Amino acid sequence: MIEIDLHDLSDDADYADSMQQGSASMTRSDSSNRSSSSEQVVAEIVYLKDNVAIHPTQHAWERIRGRLKLIKQGGSLLMTWIPYEGQSSSARLSEKDKSLYTIRAVPFSDIRSIRRHTPTLGWQYAIIVLSSGLAFPPLYFYNGGLKEFLATIKQHVFLVRSAEDANIFLVNDFQDPLQRTLSSLELPRAVSVANRPTSSVARSESSSSRTDGEALDKNSTYIQQNGRQRQKHNDPRNLSIQVLEKFSLVTRFARETKSQLLRESHGDGFISNAMRKHDKKPNSYSFAVESNDVHKPFEDIPVPAESLEYDKLSLVWGKPRQPPLGSKEWSTFLDSEGTVTDSEALRKRIFYGGVEKGLRKEVWRFLLGYHSYDSTFVGRKYLVSIRKSEYETIKNQWKSITKEQAKRFTKFRERKALIEKDVVRTDRSIPFYDGDDNSNVKCLRDILLTYSFYNFDLGYCQGMSDLLSPILYVMEDEPESFWCFVALMERLGPNFNRDQNGVHSQLFALSKLVELLDNPLHNYFQQKDCLNYFFCFRWVLIQFKREFDFEKTMRLWEVLWTHYLSEHLHLYVCVAILRRYRSKIIGEEMDFDTLLKFINELSGHINLDATLRDAEALCICAGENGEACIPPGTPPSLPFEITSMYNQQDDDDVL
Amino acid sequence: MPSRRRTLLKVIILGDSGVGKTSLMNQYVNKKFSNQYKATIGADFLTKEVQFEDRLFTLQIWDTAGQERFQSLGVAFYRGADCCVLVYDVNSMKSFENLNNWREEFLIQASPSDPENFPFVVLGNKVDIDGGNSRVVSEKKARAWCASKGNIPYFETSAKEGTNVEEAFQCIAKNALKSGEEEEIYLPDTIDVGASSQQRTGGCEC
Repeated sequence: MIEIDLHDLSDDADYADSMQQGSASMTRSDSSNRSSSSEQVVAEIVYLKDNVAIHPTQHAWERIRGRLKLIKQGGSLLMTWIPYEGQSSSARLSEKDKSLYTIRAVPFSDIRSIRRHTPTLGWQYAIIVLSSGLAFPPLYFYNGGLKEFLATIKQHVFLVRSAEDANIFLVNDFQDPLQRTLSSLELPRAVSVANRPTSSVARSESSSSRTDGEALDKNSTYIQQNGRQRQKHNDPRNLSIQVLEKFSLVTRFARETKSQLLRESHGDGFISNAMRKHDKKPNSYSFAVESNDVHKPFEDIPVPAESLEYDKLSLVWGKPRQPPLGSKEWSTFLDSEGTVTDSEALRKRIFYGGVEKGLRKEVWRFLLGYHSYDSTFVGRKYLVSIRKSEYETIKNQWKSITKEQAKRFTKFRERKALIEKDVVRTDRSIPFYDGDDNSNVKCLRDILLTYSFYNFDLGYCQGMSDLLSPILYVMEDEPESFWCFVALMERLGPNFNRDQNGVHSQLFALSKLVELLDNPLHNYFQQKDCLNYFFCFRWVLIQFKREFDFEKTMRLWEVLWTHYLSEHLHLYVCVAILRRYRSKIIGEEMDFDTLLKFINELSGHINLDATLRDAEALCICAGENGEACIPPGTPPSLPFEITSMYNQQDDDDVL
Repeated sequence: MPSRRRTLLKVIILGDSGVGKTSLMNQYVNKKFSNQYKATIGADFLTKEVQFEDRLFTLQIWDTAGQERFQSLGVAFYRGADCCVLVYDVNSMKSFENLNNWREEFLIQASPSDPENFPFVVLGNKVDIDGGNSRVVSEKKARAWCASKGNIPYFETSAKEGTNVEEAFQCIAKNALKSGEEEEIYLPDTIDVGASSQQRTGGCEC
């Protein structure tokens, strides 16, 4: 395939077309490389390289070639990459694709770092990482010139080589030492996403069994060695699609960041008004309007005059939700023995649509990990019967405590009293738990009390009844509900630790994610002394149970439990909700108290589907950078002993 | 936002799980009682305007989770409190015995400037239950404890029936005001301007 590509390179049709291409607002230079001639003082092209390409799909032959320029304008250095007009190397790439990838005048003040990659086989490429932590797809230098590119940049902006990795160049030196430290910590991971063998190699590797090119974290696991190191490994072919998806959001993020900055410096909205005047075309990109919430994406987006295209570049935020998985479709996931043959595909399907009501009883057992995907009908039937008697055994441990015994068993009495107080105030408005002497409420009590004997150290903690209630509602069976709850608590148990470290580590990760994905909002929280994120405590502790109605909660949970894009999607859900209301939060200058109240009162008013789409997009967007924000072992990650059983397949060769 | 100068009085309600903290707060603020309150997760607050000697105050009443395990959150929620309400259930000895823990925990986490004189108010709730027949903590016993802790005001309440709730909170507000007045110098009215201009200049940098 390399041959084909090289052959393609000699085809100069695109190249010829490129001669007519150029930004109207810029002074056109002649076609010689690195021309710096300019008649006007508006802008000076200090670097120009043709045949710089991106590979938008996993297929290297599908690429878009264009011209890379560095432009000096006023005091600042801008980078542009404009694809050539005319026929593409592949018919599958439309003009729309091209305009999507166009990099129009990105100022270097928005760029955090450049990663140089000079593989022995294949083309050199560079990955530009923006201050927001997002990256453009790799720019392949078919005709060389990467070294000159960096050298030219060095002449005009402050470029420091990262102490961590000689191939990383930090563009903006951070004033804040903490920020500097953090960024240097994040950088290697930031780029490791794209830090893969060249695409030809990637392709040959991916000829294995996998069929799904869209998964991000498919076979990823955390590998910890004495808590020292954590690496993720992705299926290499996901790389480009990942970068593609990432990029689809870059423009939007860049724009929003910019708009935020401009809003702060031009409080009068002058720029945004000026910009809107330019944008007279009816906007056909309705998908960019994400919600009817406070956050109106188009209202205040001042974009630089030369980059009105930005509006066209925004893609869908996350994929549209699908109808829930039904029993007919479910049966296609099972073979004749009852084994789930492609659990990845199943999890993906549920991630995008959830599960139909009647099917939950069956499917949740898998999602929760009570049944393994490779179990059979027969095996499961056997397990269920074993578990049933095991449950009865544990239950009898407290059932057999006599009144006399209980008198001298304070801990038991207290635990029982606490549980009894809570079950009678758990979801009583749901018909299933409604009314006096409701047997399901008693069932909740029995399961929780049995659990507190099953896991005596953890015992009972408020919030557990919230987590159990939908499970019992779905399972309608005491022992089965118990074991599903046990499986859930394998992951969420740390939320209820005495020292609260499980929740604290998640809130910490959340603060890091907001810092990465919405820096202005992070700065705002910092200013208001809100970085403890205690206002999200309830969200995290019981997985949004109190934020959505019963049915929606179940939908959200089954999506979270797929661990499809991330084990920590719930944290991206937090970010998504916060971002949705960011303009209100910042606009009304909410302090900690007001914010807490505001967040508590959002309960019942959050649009689940829109939030899930945002969360998905944010998760894809953050990529490795996002996962690097989340300390190892943060719930709902399984403890190290279990995850380490997976073998690391491909060592990252560069880091 | 406030056009007229108003003083905020912050009140924290503490006590064991299920003693009726949320109910008391709702009875006082909304004059409502429900059997279906959920266990409080994290914290929440309600506000109510109260008037004292021609001055308007906003009483901000914080309701917190009752399980001991959540006490580590207290630092964030207790700070700046003007009064702390300790609630127990007269039908539960344990909840009464725990008052001391709650009081001490509060003083540690809120670290008020003058812990000796920080105002507490104790409420013995659920006096309505079973016509008082299931009661295990006598009024005498409760008052004795309150006296030993520097004469803490004591009320017997029923959030369900509204008994004594208004009176209790009047007293709470008065005590909060007393401690609040001493700290009035710290009210953020003047600091606001500086903070927001700081935000402007800081924001443009990044």
